[in-house]
Amino acid sequence: MMKALIVRDLRKTYGKTEVLRGIDLEVEEGEVFALLGPNGAGKTTLIRILAEGLSYDTGEVLIFGMPLSKETARLMGYVPQESIAYGALTVEENLRFYADLYDAPADGVGELIGRFELPPKKKARELSGGQLKKLSLAIALLHEPKILILDEPSNGLDVPARRELWEIIESFRRGGKTVIIATHYMEEAERLADDVAVMNGGRVVAVGTVDDLKRLVGEGSIIHIEGRLRAENLPDGVDVIGENPLRVRDVRRELPGIIEALVRAESEIRLVRIEEPTLEDVFVKLTGRGLE
Amino acid sequence: MKLRAIKGIVWKDVREISREKMTVFWIIVFPMMWLLVMGGIWGHTSPPVTVKVGAVPHDGEALSVVHRMSNVTLSGRRLFSVETFGDGARALKALKSGRISAVVVFPAGFGKNLSTGLPAEVLVYYDRSDPQEYQIARGAMEGFFSGFSNELAGTREERLVDILNTVLPRNTSVKVIPLVEGVARPLAVKEGESPGERVNPILFFLAGVMGIQFLFATMSLIGNGTLREIERGTLRRIAASPATAWDFLLGKFISTIVVILGSIFGLIAFSWLVFKATIWPSPVGWAFLLAASLFSMGLGLMIAMITRNVRTTSAAINLISWPMMFLAGIVVPPSTLPGWARSFVNYFPIGRALKDFRLLEIHHVRTSSVIVDLILLLGIGAGTMLAAAAVYGWTVRRIE
Ligand SMILES: Nc1ncnc2c1ncn2[C@@H]1O[C@H](COP(=O)(O)OP(=O)(O)OP(=O)(O)O)[C@@H](O)[C@H]1O
Ligand SMILES: [Mg+2]
Repeated sequence: MMKALIVRDLRKTYGKTEVLRGIDLEVEEGEVFALLGPNGAGKTTLIRILAEGLSYDTGEVLIFGMPLSKETARLMGYVPQESIAYGALTVEENLRFYADLYDAPADGVGELIGRFELPPKKKARELSGGQLKKLSLAIALLHEPKILILDEPSNGLDVPARRELWEIIESFRRGGKTVIIATHYMEEAERLADDVAVMNGGRVVAVGTVDDLKRLVGEGSIIHIEGRLRAENLPDGVDVIGENPLRVRDVRRELPGIIEALVRAESEIRLVRIEEPTLEDVFVKLTGRGLE
Repeated sequence: MKLRAIKGIVWKDVREISREKMTVFWIIVFPMMWLLVMGGIWGHTSPPVTVKVGAVPHDGEALSVVHRMSNVTLSGRRLFSVETFGDGARALKALKSGRISAVVVFPAGFGKNLSTGLPAEVLVYYDRSDPQEYQIARGAMEGFFSGFSNELAGTREERLVDILNTVLPRNTSVKVIPLVEGVARPLAVKEGESPGERVNPILFFLAGVMGIQFLFATMSLIGNGTLREIERGTLRRIAASPATAWDFLLGKFISTIVVILGSIFGLIAFSWLVFKATIWPSPVGWAFLLAASLFSMGLGLMIAMITRNVRTTSAAINLISWPMMFLAGIVVPPSTLPGWARSFVNYFPIGRALKDFRLLEIHHVRTSSVIVDLILLLGIGAGTMLAAAAVYGWTVRRIE
């Protein structure tokens, strides 16, 4: 299958800080690919290089085998982190403007307004956060791109608005198109992504399907303990993947030994639970810190 | 170059600008107010002057001259307001007190000399305390007496010719009669139609406000417009589209010109409605306006790209524009400026453009006398724009 995106050894510095330290990625056509990482991981920087033509130091970026150009710009639909609608213009006028920029068919404007249930005559500055995000998304879809690139699209959206957004992304994918989405919401990545690249400190620290990544944490379940814990003198060889709450990979029936150690250290245990690993666990294990 | 993208940017800009109350005020309303104020204060053709004259006639002939004097009219109003005095001392006292600005004394024997065809004399005194009033009074008096004197010469010449015709033999070889004519009127000064005069002063101000539009409005429209796109992140979004930097710049230039043209058409119509006088520029006049706007848009864009900040840009544009409004003779006639400032009019492109524009559209000089300036100005405008485009490209590549 054709690769929608190939990134090889991509490096970018701002002044003296190295923000991307050699990124390698491959995105298949037709998949949803998530870039998962904490603040400052370099997700936005990577996306801006792809979608905005931001300069980079070294490396290679190919969109459907082509280096970045105005031609590849036409293949991508881009929803930046912040709103790019003109506040003084109406929804319809904003869409028409971007349709002109992309030389997109004019009937797409009405069609997208209908599909996203946007108020055509309302000024963009009068829209709610969710409507504004949908407007950005409609702008990105006007010219029928083959790759949709979204930078933290669900930031600041309430649950129903987020669900609606996910449905739009899924229906786009069902049309055989590719989606690249930067996020720090685990739920978003778990629900949408076929493949996930975990980014941290300007590097891709792991890539794979959600299941692949969970396997990184190890087979079996996770012991989850909450309370006022003093996790000292835990049995030798236990695999701690989170400290508070305490999360330990249950390799060989570790629970009795752990509880004993906690009680001996005068911990107050409020809750004990056995769970399947989550992407968060993967993340904490790989980066040594939580996401939010 | 993508025409549809450029068209899109123009439409978007024009819509946006037209919905901003402050911008509409500064671009459309303020120039009209300016014209109204300037036109209201200085825009009238100067009111007809009346010269107050004290006359001291000693006989009937003199009285009839005084009578004629008080009947002289200029644009439908009496030029002289004449008061007769019994003796010269009282008239001179009135002159000294400033109640009148001139005194005419007709000496004894004036009437007799006049009616017998001998040289006559009048004595005129002026109040010289106000140089301007002195000039006016003197001009009016001399005008009246030289007209009167010419008339006298005419009647006396006729009488002389009649006499000569009866006295001279039929075929005298010397051409006496034309010679008599020449003696009576050695030099006739006729006033021809001259362009540059009888210009409604409102047109001067109208052209000045157009100049302000091209100096101020274009600069800040394009400078701040571009900066706002950078600040809101929309410029990056446009850069992400297939539209190029040139499409963007062309779109901005065209939209700025469209908005300014809107303002100019508004002014032209406003001036017509309010002052019953307006300028409808010729194609060459429009070309001057375009060339000036190229220059000032380039300047505005460069300032914006160098400062990278809306406030600093507005401040810089004001700092340049305000002194230039005066130094470049945009709102005051260049003739009122000191010599060093006049060089601004000649060498600051917008001042020069406006000067030529006024010559062309108000004083109707021939196109050929300004065409070299136009070509130079177009060159300077295009050069400024290219330089601005380069600075723009350089800046935008560094937006991170
Ligand atoms: N314009 C810039 N100039 C200088 N440094 C920058 C610039 N933009 C980003 N950085 C730095 O680059 C690093 C990566 O930032 P980036 O925005 O790519 O992270 P991110 O993964 O998108 O984070 P977030 O989840 O907060 O959006 C950060 O350390 C940030 O401070
Ligand atoms: Mg980001």
